[in-house]
Amino acid sequence: MGKQRRFSRRAGRLLTVSLALSLLAACSGGSSTAAGGSAKTAGAGSGVTHIKVWAWYPSFQPVVDHFNATHKNVQIDWTNAGTGGDEYTKLQTALKAGKGAPDVVMLEFQELPTINLTKHLVDMGKYGANSIQGNYVDWAWKQSSDGAKVYAIPVDAGPMGLLYRSDLFKKYGLSVPKTWDEYQQDARTLKAKNPKAFITDFGASDAGFMTGLFWQAGAKPYTYSASNLPNIRVNLNSPQTQKVMAYWDGMVKSGLADSTSYGTTDFYSGLSTGKYLTYIAAGWGPGYLQSVAKKTAGKWRAAALPQWTAGANAQGDWGGSSFAVTDQTTHPQQATQVAMEIFGTDQDAWKIGIDQAYLFPTVKPILDWSYFRNKKYSFFGGQAVNGDVFGPASAGVGTFDWTPFNDYVAGQLTADVGQAIQHKTSFLDALKATQSTVAGYAQKQGFKVATTP
Amino acid sequence: MSADARTDVMAGRPSPGRPRTRRRRRRSVHQQAGVGLLFVAPFTVLLVLFLLLPLGYAFKLSLYRSTLIGGNVFSGLGNYRDVWSDPLFRRGVYRVLLFGLVQTPVMIGVALVAALMIDALTSRFTRLFRLAMFAPYAVPVVIGTLMWGYLYSPSFSPMHVNLIADHVMLFSLGNIVTWQWAGYNMIILYAALQGLPREILEAARVDGAGQIRTAFSVKIPMVSSALVLTVIFTIIGTLQFFTEPLLLQPLNRGTITNSYTPNVYAFYQAFSYQQYNYSAAVSFALGALVFVGSYIFLFITRKRSGLQ
Repeated sequence: MGKQRRFSRRAGRLLTVSLALSLLAACSGGSSTAAGGSAKTAGAGSGVTHIKVWAWYPSFQPVVDHFNATHKNVQIDWTNAGTGGDEYTKLQTALKAGKGAPDVVMLEFQELPTINLTKHLVDMGKYGANSIQGNYVDWAWKQSSDGAKVYAIPVDAGPMGLLYRSDLFKKYGLSVPKTWDEYQQDARTLKAKNPKAFITDFGASDAGFMTGLFWQAGAKPYTYSASNLPNIRVNLNSPQTQKVMAYWDGMVKSGLADSTSYGTTDFYSGLSTGKYLTYIAAGWGPGYLQSVAKKTAGKWRAAALPQWTAGANAQGDWGGSSFAVTDQTTHPQQATQVAMEIFGTDQDAWKIGIDQAYLFPTVKPILDWSYFRNKKYSFFGGQAVNGDVFGPASAGVGTFDWTPFNDYVAGQLTADVGQAIQHKTSFLDALKATQSTVAGYAQKQGFKVATTP
Repeated sequence: MSADARTDVMAGRPSPGRPRTRRRRRRSVHQQAGVGLLFVAPFTVLLVLFLLLPLGYAFKLSLYRSTLIGGNVFSGLGNYRDVWSDPLFRRGVYRVLLFGLVQTPVMIGVALVAALMIDALTSRFTRLFRLAMFAPYAVPVVIGTLMWGYLYSPSFSPMHVNLIADHVMLFSLGNIVTWQWAGYNMIILYAALQGLPREILEAARVDGAGQIRTAFSVKIPMVSSALVLTVIFTIIGTLQFFTEPLLLQPLNRGTITNSYTPNVYAFYQAFSYQQYNYSAAVSFALGALVFVGSYIFLFITRKRSGLQ
């Protein structure tokens, strides 16, 4: 049961990712595995520091080239070490082994506490990272820092909004919903006029999506900070999360929302054939939708996420990433510089990120930059979706904590809600089950677990 | 070993003319053993480096307990106690047992019927059929599974049924496995059938036995050791069920959970949750199950298979 199985596991893992066409934040497909576009890789003794970077952003090579062209003493050697989970597995192994990790590594927000728990991330606050805090959206900065300790520099984020088929909305006489109640009303109207169509597809297979909805509802399912170890509060079954789950339970059970897994061919086909009239998306969603539903170009529009309370501006986030420095670096100062400046506030780098990788920035000067705000997307009928919808959404996102065992939580949440859909049982019971397994797991792992709000 | 001894052995020269003492002969046997060792050395080194050492290391890991907070402590068989009482592990074991109970007879049955058919019939379609039946085995498991994954898609499926729903998932997985492996088992059985002495078959024909009677009374009993072999392979394969469920997981996470089969469970424990120690214990517990399962089957069939 040795080698062959190990191989098929790896191959399996690899292909799972390609099957899923990875729905992770702004990363529909890594581009190249080439390392470092630098022309002077041999210049070791010339006072040039080479910093190894792992990242899987699409179109990252030109960003690296731009950095290397504009920096003399620091050069980036870039490797695409895999998308999401693949990279984390390699990173965790390298961190445990004590060698083989890069100087700088791309990490998603939700994964930061998990990696940081190994205590192998460098506090960049010691190397001047706090000086740029003012450049970042407050909630995003808090995702990657703990007081004055800075564990990562944010890059992109996924504030949520509603993408909808304006042509079909007109056809069925629907109005753009301002609240979740109106959204459900639209869904009913649609069902009456076309029983085969759904207002949307509920992403029970995607923990990030569901968490984004919890986030918008003001839930704090977890309270955790690295400086407060070993304490953690797990409060997944709160009035706020129950509100969200009861709503979607009703939507799915009454056939108003579909429950096909995200990232599957069925899902893509639903988006491009008019089976789904809306897609509840993150800031990277417009680019993603554009690539999976090309046929429907020009028919989509973006609107703010429906609200629980009319007139409120509560927002949630789904995805987002950052650059962290590992303790295996021998040049923490230069590595910090790389993490801070790969994108930083550089308009040329961000132009590539915005146009080619569909990154939604966490950097205020870029969020305010007219090029970004006013960029018209023909896929959305010329709408400036950034300035119109996702920019304002980002401003309404509140703070949020993740657990330091995020993969476990995500696995439980998707399995429990998925089972509720399969067996037609209550989403609220699923929530209860996730709460108790997650709390039990945390306890077993040695955390001091509180479960009261 | 001396140089001339080596050339002796290599040339296969019996050193003519010289009278040999007993002692000399014994030494020569020793020398031959040495050469034998030399021949198996590459394999042994690889076996030790890539199988035995990792196994030993994994076993050592399984004796320790590490939590996210609190580090590594020796826990003896504590992990194993946890694994046996872990409802997720148990459910996974029941699932693969149930799966194997249905999957094994169906697939071996298909393979046996196909093998008997191509053995008994000689027409120009026989070769074509044999090739077509074997072809799925030549498709890598991952590709085959992805292909079926698309075929199962509720909106594209030509079958217009939801084949990834909770209650049919095991059936759908079984279908993939049967498709993939029936041809492989057919070839093993076919080879055994081809090896049967023709006189016996002729004798059967002379005695008036038809094709079907010959198949049941002569052929199947005579290839029973090959049958046992294919069944053992299948039992081991189903207990270690891994690739297909993992690949279909994105289609329905509610059904294919992270603990769907023991192997999937071990995989997630190690590579998603950093529970390397627990994962090692799960793997060894599964290994023990596979061992016991295979042993029981061999014991039951020892008379038929000729493996005593």
